[in-house]
Amino acid sequence: MIYKSEFMKKEVCSFLRRCYSLLFSPILKLVCLLLLGLSLQVKVMAGTYLQDQPLSVHVKDADIQSVFKIIRKQSKYLFIFSDENIAKVKNKITLSVSNSSINEIMDACLEGTSLTYKIVDNTIILLPVSEQDVTAQRISIKGTVVDASNGEALPGVTISVKGSKQGTISGADGHFQFDNITPPVTLTFTYIGFSKKEIVVQDAQPVIVKLSRASQNMQQLVVIGYGTQKKQDVTGSIGTFRPDDRNSRPVLGPDQMLQGRVAGVNISGASGMPGGAVRVSVRGIGSLSASNEPLYVIDGVPVLPHNAAMTNFGENMNPLAELNPNDIASIEVLKDAASAAIYGSRATNGVILITTKSGQKGKGQLSINAFASMGNVPNLHKVKMAGSDQYLEVANEAIDNYNNQYGYTPGNSKFIPYIDNPYPTLPETDWLDRVLRTAYSQNINVAASGGNDKSTYYISGGYQNQQGTILTNELKKYMIRANVTGTPLEWLKTGVNLSMSYSDNNRVPGSNLGSTIMGRSLPQRPFDRPYKPDGSYYVGGTSDLVYHNPLQILNEEVAYLENYRLLGNAFASVNFTKDLMFKTSLGADVIYTHDYIYYNQKHPYGTGNGRNVDDRRLLTNLLIENTLSYQKSWGKLRSEWLLGQSFQKMTTSTSGIDGNGFPAPSFDVLASAAVINDASTNLYGNAMESYFARGNFSYDGKYLLSLSMRTDGSSRFSPKNRYGYFPSMSAGWQISKENFWQDAGKELKLRFSYGATGNQEGVSNYAYQSLTTGGYNYDEKSGISVTTTGNEDLTWEKARQMNIGFDYSMFRGGLNITLDYYQKKTTNLLYNMPIHATSGFTSITSNIGSMLNKGLELGINTNVNFGELNWSSDFNISFVKNEILSLIGNTDVLSIGSNRGLQVGQDIGSIWVYKMLGIYQDDKDVPQPLYDIGVRAGDVMYEDLNGDGNIDINDRQVVGSSNPAFYGGWNNTFRYKNFDLSVFLNYSAGADVYATWRINTERLGYNAFNNTLKTVKDRWTGPGTSNTTPRAIYGQGYNFYNSSRWLEDGSFLRVRSLSLGYNLPASILQRLKMKQLRIYAQADNLALWTNYSGLDPEVNSSMDPRYIGEDNLILPQPRTFILGVNVSF
Amino acid sequence: MKNKFIALLLTAALGTSSCSKLLDVPSHSAVATNTLSQADVEAFLIGIYSRVQNAPGAQSYIMFDMVGGNLINAGATSDGGLNTFISNILRPEQGLMSSAWNGYYSALYQVNNLLESTESLPESSRKQEILGVIHFFRAYLYYNLVTRWGGVPVLKVNTAAKVPRNTETETWEFIEDELELSMATAPAYMAGSFYYVSNMSATALMARVKLALGKKDEAHDLAETVITSGYFQLDDFENIFRNATNSESIFTFKNATIESNTNISTLFYTYAHPVKGSYVYRPTMEVMNLFSSSDKRAAISVDTYGGLNVINKYPSGQSGTDPIQVIRLGEMYLVSAEAGGLANGLDRLNELREERGLGPVSPATEDEFLDAVLLERRKELLAEGFRYYDLVRLGRATTDIGLDDREVKFPLPMNELALNKLLDQNDDY
Repeated sequence: MIYKSEFMKKEVCSFLRRCYSLLFSPILKLVCLLLLGLSLQVKVMAGTYLQDQPLSVHVKDADIQSVFKIIRKQSKYLFIFSDENIAKVKNKITLSVSNSSINEIMDACLEGTSLTYKIVDNTIILLPVSEQDVTAQRISIKGTVVDASNGEALPGVTISVKGSKQGTISGADGHFQFDNITPPVTLTFTYIGFSKKEIVVQDAQPVIVKLSRASQNMQQLVVIGYGTQKKQDVTGSIGTFRPDDRNSRPVLGPDQMLQGRVAGVNISGASGMPGGAVRVSVRGIGSLSASNEPLYVIDGVPVLPHNAAMTNFGENMNPLAELNPNDIASIEVLKDAASAAIYGSRATNGVILITTKSGQKGKGQLSINAFASMGNVPNLHKVKMAGSDQYLEVANEAIDNYNNQYGYTPGNSKFIPYIDNPYPTLPETDWLDRVLRTAYSQNINVAASGGNDKSTYYISGGYQNQQGTILTNELKKYMIRANVTGTPLEWLKTGVNLSMSYSDNNRVPGSNLGSTIMGRSLPQRPFDRPYKPDGSYYVGGTSDLVYHNPLQILNEEVAYLENYRLLGNAFASVNFTKDLMFKTSLGADVIYTHDYIYYNQKHPYGTGNGRNVDDRRLLTNLLIENTLSYQKSWGKLRSEWLLGQSFQKMTTSTSGIDGNGFPAPSFDVLASAAVINDASTNLYGNAMESYFARGNFSYDGKYLLSLSMRTDGSSRFSPKNRYGYFPSMSAGWQISKENFWQDAGKELKLRFSYGATGNQEGVSNYAYQSLTTGGYNYDEKSGISVTTTGNEDLTWEKARQMNIGFDYSMFRGGLNITLDYYQKKTTNLLYNMPIHATSGFTSITSNIGSMLNKGLELGINTNVNFGELNWSSDFNISFVKNEILSLIGNTDVLSIGSNRGLQVGQDIGSIWVYKMLGIYQDDKDVPQPLYDIGVRAGDVMYEDLNGDGNIDINDRQVVGSSNPAFYGGWNNTFRYKNFDLSVFLNYSAGADVYATWRINTERLGYNAFNNTLKTVKDRWTGPGTSNTTPRAIYGQGYNFYNSSRWLEDGSFLRVRSLSLGYNLPASILQRLKMKQLRIYAQADNLALWTNYSGLDPEVNSSMDPRYIGEDNLILPQPRTFILGVNVSF
Repeated sequence: MKNKFIALLLTAALGTSSCSKLLDVPSHSAVATNTLSQADVEAFLIGIYSRVQNAPGAQSYIMFDMVGGNLINAGATSDGGLNTFISNILRPEQGLMSSAWNGYYSALYQVNNLLESTESLPESSRKQEILGVIHFFRAYLYYNLVTRWGGVPVLKVNTAAKVPRNTETETWEFIEDELELSMATAPAYMAGSFYYVSNMSATALMARVKLALGKKDEAHDLAETVITSGYFQLDDFENIFRNATNSESIFTFKNATIESNTNISTLFYTYAHPVKGSYVYRPTMEVMNLFSSSDKRAAISVDTYGGLNVINKYPSGQSGTDPIQVIRLGEMYLVSAEAGGLANGLDRLNELREERGLGPVSPATEDEFLDAVLLERRKELLAEGFRYYDLVRLGRATTDIGLDDREVKFPLPMNELALNKLLDQNDDY
């Protein structure tokens, strides 16, 4: 670190010297004085029309600077001039005017000098006359915009006059006109799907402007860590997604937006509930620890991974759902180490850079996006349950089998009698139908943007109301954003990106809670009923009802999750020279959460007199960041340098109170609770200090090299292991720029990179310390207890990743192929390692081993015109293989959870259970130890690995994995005249789903739960009747041990979205004074092809990579139909 | 510009000097263990009560009722599946096996930790008292371990090393040694202070231990010492189990709602009950039929609500937690009776029965007497964690409730076996 500090000191010194010399440079001398104290008070949002302000000047033989001082006292005008120009104003000024305009006064002052002036906003710039040709004549400019490829007129092209606020739009025939223009001027042409073009117009000759279709690729700017880079210069592996009208889906957060879009990024949701957590995995499983999420950096602010909810209400909630996806301009996924290493210790699982929209110079724009949707739960026929008759048949068969097996006859105390339908005359209950509904949603988003040479703005507001498909589940979101930049001085740029949001999610219990709605509806007995004849509830867990009454759960609880979020940054950048820039930035992500659950006295969890759990949290994530960037060319060698420092501190302050005893359900705050069961507050956090540097080199545009280095110091590690170093290098070769490359229509670039990244998530804030914690109280006396032993040796998890790839493009950008191969080896894996309990603990956070991810990613992008039909498509496919290489010398399986194991040579997510071989067809086949515990013909035959006749933990084996062999997405957009049609597919193959929900719906008479119809039909009833589904047997759990019986292939192909849009023709738009009006109809999740027997193979009961791919009857993703409109003015 | 200089200088200063200190982010709810001093011993002692009370989990307090035929899964429509219910619990993969094992050992770690700190204190009477409490808790934890699993690793000091099991005899010897130490130095009982460990707690637990070991004379004498100490008197169940002042409790975990998450009550009540519970276990029909109409314990012990049978000893349901009786006088009467045999014990049995509203019994033989004592224990100590081990220690588990031979010991939890190869599984699991 000493080395680093020295280094910084040196930098700072040279920086200060430069500032000093700038300060005393003649140009800025006066400006500085004038600016003192005003530097940041720049109004950029709206032009202030100072010209109208009356001014009075009374001077005699004064110099011009005194006149300026007088004006400044009366107004907010700033003056910019050079000493050399001032020297040109020799004559003394005598002037006496009142209530005059600034122009009158300036004209009078400068009369007869060789100077003139220009007013830009509230700044008056003195110029020599030669720079402003006062005699220039005003002209009209006419022209036509056409498509360069076919010469057809392009309507709706935005044309602006550079350096002024003038702008127009081309008409239906591609025609445009400007009047009253002083040549020469530069006209800028921008049009979606086409490259921006600038032309200089000298005279009034009509112009024909040819726009070429954007070869989307090579000239595009790609956002990289702490900067941007032209795509052609990128040497790392970066995936980009730019949402637009045609490829957007109705999503809540930016992570969902990425689903299926970028090779190497696998995204799956927790459930179909609004606001549920989303699992994002970049290039496989990077870490063993629970947090395996990529680092999200939103407008330069790394945000804190967390669960948006505080109380367990059955599933984790997604913090990114609090943001407004409409504000997103682009999402970049930094996949390889070389591009991600600049984010050092948090980059092992990839980095996702989210850039929000900003205003563009030129004419302002107002855009409105609105849609309404309706959705429902698809594929319910797949979980058809048994009817009353079938239910009773199985239940009584199970009882018969039990009684017969043990020889119990009526009269014996262990004899079990038959059951029957208590309501034979009443209709059956369709429990799912009683809790599910068609969900309606509305969304409206309004954005205004614009700018001029000095400033840009983007201001948006959005409202979203999304219902869930379970009754009462509803998420409302209110979002505003302001992104503003201003250039008050030639050398200074400042700006803020600020978003505020409020979301209010009325939640229903998810699949990991005892009151889960899906899990408590489906397996109910078919003849049971929710309401008694008197209107009161049948209560679950009694003889009336097997499980919780889901209607009682929904009606008698209020559970809402509110999140207030302020996310943004303010920055200032100083250009010392054209090539040297210093940028300082303050970022903040502040989230206030209120997680509220109220069970009234009628609720099963209502303690009989009402219970309220009220949790609140303030998350504060503050960032200070300083970077110095410099570029320099030596002949053909171009170089870009970056030096930076950042300090980030994350603090969490929580409070939670749990009370019960309310006088009536209408009292729903803890002020009226009789008993406080639990009340506590807490405060914790961590901090990180970082230094980073990068150099990008390019020789002749052909040979590219990028080097970066980051060091992070984290408070989570002991002072001796506090700092981690994360270097990287990447190189590229633009082969197609070599002389020997003949074909101008084809481009090829080779890339290679290698680097190191780290991970510190998954380690608690104080894991290295042995801690003694308070709160272990007894009899109202405070007690303490040793809670962790600590591990001083704890250090960074480190991943080294090699990436080799190429970008190939042919047909002048009509077909683009990107292929990458990578190997990522993670060492010092951080893990809460299970240890023998006699040590006093059950786990200790350690660096336990290493693992390898290998993968191949292919992206193919096409853009082809067939006459008037344009077809563009993006296809991507990713293959990844994960393997555990070592677990501190341990080759045994580390058992985790109830159905998983970690073992060297296997992948994380391996399903480690008994292997079902079939069904015993004859009692004689059953080994004695199993016979002794009641196993008979018709029961499941598990593989007895060690041959001891018994089935125990030693017989467990890896039978599958929840990691897919390959996955990806394919988006197709067809455009014909004013119509556009998009079809977006995503798919995954080879991942297994562990269907724990079936353990509850295929019990076949074990207890009172109902069974799926399929199980009832398939069950074993005698030798040869089934080799897959066992017999019905009362009270014996042997048949539903965790085994491959519950393992299913989760491969799927999904029509993620299908949309049809229509753009109003330009002729109508002009009459409506609109730039664009598109109406569209869209279907989300329209079709799903899979062999999985459950509702949705893509949902997960846990986001932890070790346990993914488990379905415990999770609410599936809804099928949604949308009608929407995009309007812009 | 000057403003910016100041800002720049500040950031530069931040970058070069102060950040390293900013990386020391302390915890506010905990302190580094090495910063603790001798003055913290009393707080640690309170922490021990909390940990021993909470660590093993609610089911551990009624485990011997669950696998002893007093309870069955609440969803069972008849008692026919009792043995299947028990066998499903006594599996190495059962979470209840590991939660109890892990809980007892994690509590033991705290106890051993405190022992180390306390031994370094200068001699004082308070030091001796604290040591007495520590030795009681070690004995209590090992009593729970040995009655479940037989011989277990006996850790006299904490160790991170993997250790093999001690023999069952060694484990019992350790318990006896610990209780000797505790009886000698634990704080003297003061009236009403049954939420804390005292010399009476140690004496009573020793009586229980001696009875388990078949050392009947010692058991009898120790039980009589407690009964005749003058501190305790048999009391009404309404007082003992409704969180009232009572004269019967010898040592009770206070288990205050705000200090605990050990809620036994919700396991017993239904969601339809006024205080609500999740109705996991219900008493078997045999249990429901144990109590005669005059038995004053009946209403507090069991109840029928909405047609469903429930255990009624822990009244709070979801609305809170209830004290947990560890040792009370009723048990001492029954220990004294059993240890005394027909000749010396019948009086104590009948005294207890009379107090509970029942007439005297007059068994003719030792066997009949033992049956009578066992029956009384079953009624008196229902849902307090005794039944299974009563049957096991008397060798009656397989005959009385039809347990498999292996089921007289619990299986060691699967994960513990996988993590420590030095441990052997109990036979036939």
